[in-house]
Amino acid sequence: MSMEDYDFLFKIVLIGNAGVGKTCLVRRFTQGLFPPGQGATIGVDFMIKTVEINGEKVKLQIWDTAGQERFRSITQSYYRSANALILTYDITCEESFRCLPEWLREIEQYASNKVITVLVGNKIDLADKREVSQQRAAEFSEAQDMYYLETSAKESDNVEKLFLDLACRLISEARQNTLVNNVASPLPGEGKSISYLTCCNFN
Amino acid sequence: MASDTGRKQFWKRSGAKVPGSIQHVYGAQHPPFDPLLHGSLIKTSSKPPTTPVKLKKVSTFQEFESNTSDAWDLGDDDDELLAIAAENLNTEVVMETAHKVIQNHSKLQEQHKLQEEQLQEEKQVESSEVSSVAYVDNRLVKSVSEGHTSSSSDNASENSSMQRSQSLPQTSTPPLASGVDHSTSVTSALTEREASRLDKFKQLLAGPNTNLEELRKLSWSGIPKQVRPIAWKLLSGYLPANVDRRESTLQRKRKEYFAFVEQYYDSRNDESHQDTYRQIHIDIPRMSPEVLRLQPKVTEIFERILFIWAIRHPASGYVQGINDLVTPFFVVFVCEYMEDDEVENFDVSSLPEEVLQNIEADSYWCMSKLLDGIQDNYTFAQPGIQKKVKMLEELVRRIDEQVHRHLDQHEVKYLQFAFRWMNNLLMREVPLRCTIRLWDTYQ
Repeated sequence: MSMEDYDFLFKIVLIGNAGVGKTCLVRRFTQGLFPPGQGATIGVDFMIKTVEINGEKVKLQIWDTAGQERFRSITQSYYRSANALILTYDITCEESFRCLPEWLREIEQYASNKVITVLVGNKIDLADKREVSQQRAAEFSEAQDMYYLETSAKESDNVEKLFLDLACRLISEARQNTLVNNVASPLPGEGKSISYLTCCNFN
Repeated sequence: MASDTGRKQFWKRSGAKVPGSIQHVYGAQHPPFDPLLHGSLIKTSSKPPTTPVKLKKVSTFQEFESNTSDAWDLGDDDDELLAIAAENLNTEVVMETAHKVIQNHSKLQEQHKLQEEQLQEEKQVESSEVSSVAYVDNRLVKSVSEGHTSSSSDNASENSSMQRSQSLPQTSTPPLASGVDHSTSVTSALTEREASRLDKFKQLLAGPNTNLEELRKLSWSGIPKQVRPIAWKLLSGYLPANVDRRESTLQRKRKEYFAFVEQYYDSRNDESHQDTYRQIHIDIPRMSPEVLRLQPKVTEIFERILFIWAIRHPASGYVQGINDLVTPFFVVFVCEYMEDDEVENFDVSSLPEEVLQNIEADSYWCMSKLLDGIQDNYTFAQPGIQKKVKMLEELVRRIDEQVHRHLDQHEVKYLQFAFRWMNNLLMREVPLRCTIRLWDTYQ
């Protein structure tokens, strides 16, 4: 199989406290599974999914990291090359939300300054246990200039949307960079009409 | 698999290679199987001399998958397998090799295990390759082939393909018990051999002073289930070699552990320790196998063991993955008190409280002993693991340059796939009974 069979390749890294559901989000998106009782992620893990957006193949290389602090020295090395970061917290766990500034400092320190960060509040299926209001998270994400979304890996709510929206944003970002940098050879698919809004209306 | 022979022999420490890689015949012939699998396996099994090495390499991953898929099979029925194999292969060749299998069954047991381990490792290497289609394909292949093996085994209803690799005591009771209890295929020669091995262990353990070096040497090829608990306790350094001192040591250490529990466990919700406890508390409900984590009694025990260990080892504290290291000890020690048919359900509530407490304390101390030797795996920046992964890289570079180059070409770093191997001592990579068998050689 050809490794080059795609128009775009993006690296997405998931970060956030232990047990917020990073692995479940990735599994749900890449395999359509929600296997309960998966062991904690050790170090990093990765999965790949190729999606088609407006006729173009977008290969998403998704790196799933361990949430525990002891693994930070391993996981940090993956921030640098990430095109996008999915910063995840658990809406039923105040602690995981309160740690967000700490994660943002990590991003600041180790990620590229062009990285797109998405804030994700996971586990909305556990609505009766909610500890972090949507409004609080929305305000926080706005202040930090992050895109924000709530998901349920268990119920498959917004999971596709999360990754596909992100893919769209990465594509338009990549095109802009191409134009700004005035690169001689245009990206594949250059010239086709693509807009963030039109390609992300699948839900 | 001719070109793989050199590599295999490097890992295999014991015994000569048994002629005809029989496993392929077994693995390939569980019907109905994936046509893709079928093709590649027939190709290798019948070994057409024209098959270019390169082509073969391409299918290596599938071979690994199919080879390992049969490896966990419990209720191998030789006749049935032979009949199936004969339909698809040259009957003469199959029968000849198959008879050798039966004759060499006991010898093979050990080799299979080693091969399984090796194959599992290589599988990991392969699956880390950055290629989406292969990843998906192989997962499919895996579940398909496992599904078939399980449906042909006796406890098929218990086994889903996922459970097979994740919830061990259910799916693999006999091997967990001794490694060679294939009830339908036990030959008298095998039993004799096992009996004589057991005798050797018993003599060694009887004392008055157990020669640990001798015990270690004997354990290399596997410890019989009946003596595994005591052998592990001795090899880990928990129990003294002197027989007369063992009972008093056990009593003292068990008391000591519960004194720790009394002293420290209430502090788990204190501010200074709550992060540690919270992390343990998050990890236990998602550990494998399921049969353990679903029993509140077991999860309580694991939480206590891990919390006490963590606060008594502040240099590392609790690190995710250490929870997996309690499991083999706990399972082995519990099995000592269970009949073979009970192990499947592994219901610890049937055990008297006192027995369970002893198991808890013994598991704590043995795990502590094990971790004493590898604590730098879990201290800041985990230098022990970094070092071991480097060693692995060096090893692969030396013994299988092709694999090394392949990984390099695809920008796959050893740390990306081998970190977890080292962090969890392969607990996530091979089924529990294989880990237990491996640990016979670690201690």
